[in-house]
Amino acid sequence: MTAVTSTSPATPPSTTGASGVSSAQRRKRRITPARIALHIVLMTAALGWLAPVLLAVYASLRPYADTAAHGYLSWPERLTFDYYIQVWQDAELPRYFFNTLIVTVPAVIIILFLASFVAYAIARVRLPGARVLLVLFTAGNLLPPQVLITPLYVLYNKLPLPWWISDSMSLYDSYLGLIAIHVAFQLGFCVFVLANYMRQIPTEITEAALVDGAGLWKRYLTVTLPLARPALAALATLEFTWIYNDFLWALVLMSSGDKLPITSALNNLRGQFFTDYNLLAAGAVLVALPTIIVFNLLQKQFIAGLTLGANKG
Amino acid sequence: MSPFPSSRFPHPHPHPTQFGVPVLSRRGLLRGAAVGTGALGLSGLLSACGERPADENTVTFGSNQSDPVPREALAQVVATFEEESDLTVEVNTVDHNTFQENINRYLQGTPDDVFTWFAGYRMQFFAAQGLLTPISDVWEDIGDQYSDAMRDQSTGEDGEQYFVPFYYYPWAMFYRPSVWAERGYTPPTTFDEYIALCDRMRADGLVPIAFGNEDGWPAMGTFDYLNMRINGYEFHAALMRGEESWEDPAVREVFATWAELLPYCQEGANGRIWQDAAQALVNGEAGMYLLGMFVGQQFPDDQRDDLDFFPFPEINPEHGQGAVEAPIDGFLISAEARNVDGAKELLRFLASAEAQELYLASDPNNIAANSTADTSNYSAMQNKAVELVSNATHISQFMDRDTRPDFASTVMIPSLQQFINDPSDIDGLLRQIEEQKQSIFDDE
Repeated sequence: MTAVTSTSPATPPSTTGASGVSSAQRRKRRITPARIALHIVLMTAALGWLAPVLLAVYASLRPYADTAAHGYLSWPERLTFDYYIQVWQDAELPRYFFNTLIVTVPAVIIILFLASFVAYAIARVRLPGARVLLVLFTAGNLLPPQVLITPLYVLYNKLPLPWWISDSMSLYDSYLGLIAIHVAFQLGFCVFVLANYMRQIPTEITEAALVDGAGLWKRYLTVTLPLARPALAALATLEFTWIYNDFLWALVLMSSGDKLPITSALNNLRGQFFTDYNLLAAGAVLVALPTIIVFNLLQKQFIAGLTLGANKG
Repeated sequence: MSPFPSSRFPHPHPHPTQFGVPVLSRRGLLRGAAVGTGALGLSGLLSACGERPADENTVTFGSNQSDPVPREALAQVVATFEEESDLTVEVNTVDHNTFQENINRYLQGTPDDVFTWFAGYRMQFFAAQGLLTPISDVWEDIGDQYSDAMRDQSTGEDGEQYFVPFYYYPWAMFYRPSVWAERGYTPPTTFDEYIALCDRMRADGLVPIAFGNEDGWPAMGTFDYLNMRINGYEFHAALMRGEESWEDPAVREVFATWAELLPYCQEGANGRIWQDAAQALVNGEAGMYLLGMFVGQQFPDDQRDDLDFFPFPEINPEHGQGAVEAPIDGFLISAEARNVDGAKELLRFLASAEAQELYLASDPNNIAANSTADTSNYSAMQNKAVELVSNATHISQFMDRDTRPDFASTVMIPSLQQFINDPSDIDGLLRQIEEQKQSIFDDE
């Protein structure tokens, strides 16, 4: 297994050499006015992206009466973590975080599992119409989910489920329905990325396995899948954040407030008329935190995931 | 490409035994798992028979009171009910806006037994579609504790009662007595006095009328009052029911009067939420503000006493100041309710003075709907609101509750926003409203 992995040209030595040279050159480069200008532009742009987040954090630390009277860009009278405590306890955030996990984790696993099947079939099994299949899955990405809201809503209400699967007795207002919709909409993208990635794995490796007598299952499970691990990791990261961030489907396909995932449950902090925007900011910061952490820890996979399959193998 | 055509098949023939064992065992495992799940599923199916377990001791309760304070208050009311009865109440809370926007889907899907909703046309609309359970028998018990106006607002077009009122909040012109006392303003009762006051405020450097309409609904309050003062409640109600034409000169006059008022209002209202408009009132930058009593929520706790209101001034002496806009919130039973008896028992409790007093203890911006409720703990403003509403000749519910919800949100919100941006083309605007109204109201 290790021998097989090392033969894959994931990082050709020439690339490493080239980047090493260029960074050495950069270090030698003198500070010119153009570079200073570049850095000023970059810093301004970075600040522009960070400003809303920082403002939300700042607002969440100040009492509403203070910001209402003096505006959000004023000097604080006092800073407090009260809103965070209030959000965590009164708004029962932990419960909604758990709901999100109930939807996200199975959805990501099922998506990757199914997508790797299709991708392997397209990339490595000589299937008649494989290209059409790939086009079909890719075309699915172009379908705007919003146009399907009404038909899906009606369909979900008409699909009965027994009581022990869904207490709503239908696919509507059930976790199963929500997981299914995410699987359906994310599958196309994952198949596209994985198929392109699997195509890049040298055919010689699978052929060698075939010569050694490995069946289709064995070649998929023990040869191709481990080699596709970088792609799977990248996709898992991307899909996790995408499904975590979903707001629309839970809103449309759920009716029980206590089953809502965290993003939709944030609405519970809004009142009939009055909304404490600083409290809402505290909630939003807490909800955004997991994606920010995931992004920073797995930044490499994240960027890999966005560029994977960008070029045709 | 591949020299091995057998790659299509899972088991290449040359080595059947070599890989047969692990493949078989994996298959065996899968099969075992499938049988296991099937058995579990079957037993679950048998025990439940695919039916939702009927529970006579549980009432489900859909609530739109999602923000912490009302949610906690309602939880206390429910806990008291559970103590006094043998029933358990399962509360399902969804935030107010989502609940409102999803109401059609909610009622046609799997609604709770009891749910929070609004009085008047907006309830009758669903009652007429057969989505609600009539509760006239509950009203036989609670009827004498409610005014006739409340009974009217709780009655469907078929004469049956459907709704239990819980609380209400009047709309009026709010102001800060301290700011007014400083400058010697007095509440106007006629439209001329009102305009004169606006001129004085402007001369004193105040914005006369605070105005924020980003969410689209606040401007409806201004239209409602102008229409009721100029053309009377009967015409207003008929217009809302779709029976009068929006191109009627009477409606034109409402908008013409409003156009006179707009220069006195805060500019750029379509980009301002009501909380920011109310803040102008709190800060003493604006003189007065037409809004519901919930405006008090924007006031810091220590300044809430410095808030008072006067009824919208008289325009046409024939109609005076009798009509009051006072939306009523309360509860309904869905047609799909599983435990109707339990739901009715819960409604009887929610209709009681006891339940409403308990709820209002935490929310001083509303008035109990039950006329026997204890008012001794009310603030001066709450008592004034009780007086305003009990002396009212007519009670309206607010535009988005008095007309078809789809008409209010898809036609009136954009139309009023358009009018506020550019009040010059009233005739064009009214033609446009009337056309869209006909297509929506003829839909049925």
